[in-house]
Amino acid sequence: MFKTIVIKEIRDITKSKKFLMSFPAAALLIILSFYVGGRWFQLNQHRYEAALAGNLRQMEGITDWIMVKHHIFLPPQPLAALVNGVDNDIGRNIEMFGQGELESGDSRFSDDPVFAMFRFLDIEFIFSVVLALFAIMFGYNAVNGEKETGTLRLVFANAVPKEQFILGKMTGVLLTVIIPLLLPILAGCLILMLMRIPMTADDWIRLSLIVTAGILYFSVFLLLSIFLSAVTRSSSTSFLFALLVWIFATLIIPRVAVLLAGRAANVPAVDEIAAQKFSFRSQLWAEDVQKMNRFTPPRTGNPREMMDAFQRFMGDLSRKRNEKIMAYAKRLNEERRNLQNLQETTAFSISRISPASNFSLAAMHLAGTSIELKQHFLDEAMSYQQSYAKFLSAKTGGLLPGSGMVFRLIEEDDEEPETINPHELPVFEYKPATLSALLDYAFFDLAMLVLFNLIFFAGGYAAFLRYDVR
Amino acid sequence: MKNSEQSLSHPEKFKVDTSVMLEALDLSKRYEDGVLALDRLNLQVRSGQIFAMLGANGAGKTTTINLFLNYIDPTGGEARVNGITTHKNPLQAKSNLSYVSENVTLYPNFTALQNMDFFARIAGKNGLSYADYAEILNRVGLQTEAHHKKLKDFSKGMRQKCGIAIAIIKDAPAVLLDEPTAGLDPQAGREFIDLLSRLREEGKAVLMSTHDIFRAREIADEIGIMSAGRLVLQAGKDELAGEDLEKLYMEYMSGSKQN
Ligand SMILES: Nc1ncnc2c1ncn2[C@@H]1O[C@H](COP(=O)(O)OP(=O)(O)OP(=O)(O)O)[C@@H](O)[C@H]1O
Ligand SMILES: [Mg+2]
Repeated sequence: MFKTIVIKEIRDITKSKKFLMSFPAAALLIILSFYVGGRWFQLNQHRYEAALAGNLRQMEGITDWIMVKHHIFLPPQPLAALVNGVDNDIGRNIEMFGQGELESGDSRFSDDPVFAMFRFLDIEFIFSVVLALFAIMFGYNAVNGEKETGTLRLVFANAVPKEQFILGKMTGVLLTVIIPLLLPILAGCLILMLMRIPMTADDWIRLSLIVTAGILYFSVFLLLSIFLSAVTRSSSTSFLFALLVWIFATLIIPRVAVLLAGRAANVPAVDEIAAQKFSFRSQLWAEDVQKMNRFTPPRTGNPREMMDAFQRFMGDLSRKRNEKIMAYAKRLNEERRNLQNLQETTAFSISRISPASNFSLAAMHLAGTSIELKQHFLDEAMSYQQSYAKFLSAKTGGLLPGSGMVFRLIEEDDEEPETINPHELPVFEYKPATLSALLDYAFFDLAMLVLFNLIFFAGGYAAFLRYDVR
Repeated sequence: MKNSEQSLSHPEKFKVDTSVMLEALDLSKRYEDGVLALDRLNLQVRSGQIFAMLGANGAGKTTTINLFLNYIDPTGGEARVNGITTHKNPLQAKSNLSYVSENVTLYPNFTALQNMDFFARIAGKNGLSYADYAEILNRVGLQTEAHHKKLKDFSKGMRQKCGIAIAIIKDAPAVLLDEPTAGLDPQAGREFIDLLSRLREEGKAVLMSTHDIFRAREIADEIGIMSAGRLVLQAGKDELAGEDLEKLYMEYMSGSKQN
């Protein structure tokens, strides 16, 4: 009996005009999103390599490491091209200093606003917006549509248990709509391979988890619309309700969550913080200038010794000043970070009542492009900063450029100074967040998606048992 | 209220008579909005018998059939199919029933044969082939060309024939027909009468509601006239032999005659 109903459902959907027309469109969009992601990655890889080369090129001809302006770059990640998240909005470029604060700049969109368009074709968007609609289309009249055509009445003139009918129907709908969607997804993966996108084993695992999250999200909307079709009399009513839920889940709740979070915590703007840091730095500088005025080098008569003493004095000042600035900046940053955390937690908690947010957050976490990416890049840059500082002080004899002034005595009689070799610079090896860390982040949202599935499954099931089949 | 409609005070009525296939015992239905659609209906249909229910719109014919199919629960009395009380044992009761609705609608994207296949299977007939389905479709007068057509391209008469074919393939001992000839052309109506007499020959108990007095008179063994949820007249074919049924019907409808 169950099998008969499942097969009937599969046939009924696959023979319908709406399936024959909308399925190719959805498949095309999915394949396109993989292709666009692949191209986007290639393009970014290209720019990344150009940026690296440019960074080294601008160091050519420099004779003193102290003069070097070194930049490191966030390398493009294949998954970030598929699920953009904040990947295009955060700065991808950090100017390296041997000490002091680091700041990222130059996001992709600030370079090339036209690429902001591409965000509408990543798989996260295709799933959360387009496929949810697709799911609604196939679920909204699952039960009340059969009542409208009268087939429900005829089916239940037979010894058909209601439990089996609704379970068979749900199974049939889920199978018929989900399995064909796996085909374009597989085709998309194949395209990534053909394009030779360097996906690691971890990347593939993460991608399959993203797809799993997508399927879970898709089935939330299928089960939700089946549920709605079992609690309303007419299919036009259930369609309307399903659309309303879709609008709220994908458009309204995430935005309202951000608005409400904005009220929950007043995070000072970056500029405000920067201004505070700047005035603190100026104040320290003014104090140090006074100290410099009072400095009297030992009168040994040897300019070299005098210079060295001055150098030490200046180095000392600069180090102390820097420590103060760092401590101050750290405090400001921490305060801001705490407020920001509060804001983000509030926004996420509120938006998590929407399955669309659950999916988006899970996908971004798994792709490593959620809000944590910026901090992760900075953390990576800071750990690089240590090896860079070590390298620099070895090269310059203990001097770290980055703040304050550096005086060097250039002796006329020295031979032509040698140019530096930029390739000696330690290489910045960016390590993306580990799979287990990402899974930790994504776990809650994946669990929420499972929960939504269970709720709507149980709701649809219970509603149908009480459904009037006449 | 519920108790007054339940007449368990007549236990002799609840005895099972094996040749009685369809039976209503003080069957009552009051809808949620308070309409008493069926008021202590008693009727019996035996195997090999055709019972025609006549009655004005809203008389309670469809309600009676819905109660036999347990689409709704009675508020009093009970409906039995082959001795099984429908609201207590709905699945078992329904496996003894074939049903053709007033307006047969099948799966529009399926062909006649595919619809037959699905409904045969859920009726518990699993071993049948498409040749078997085609044979029955031919028997109800659906030409072979139409067997592979999708139901959405069928006319009302063609759909009705399909519905009858589905009822036949289930081969249940009792058959419920709700205005099966409504909208059929004279030729199809004629063929339908032949199908009904064939069902009778096979020993089925047939309960049909109809507005077609002449067809009812032609084919039915028992005729009941319903009015406002009550069976106001029940008579056998022989008792009505000399009577003008249409006149009788009008008289009962206008209330000038009471049972
Ligand atoms: N779901 C319902 N809720 C409330 N009242 C109903 C419902 N279904 C039917 N009725 C009422 O019950 C009474 C009997 O209706 P029923 O459909 O059984 O009549 P019928 O004899 O089949 O009429 P027709 O010849 O028009 O098909 C009518 O008064 C009708 O309004
Ligand atoms: Mg009726």
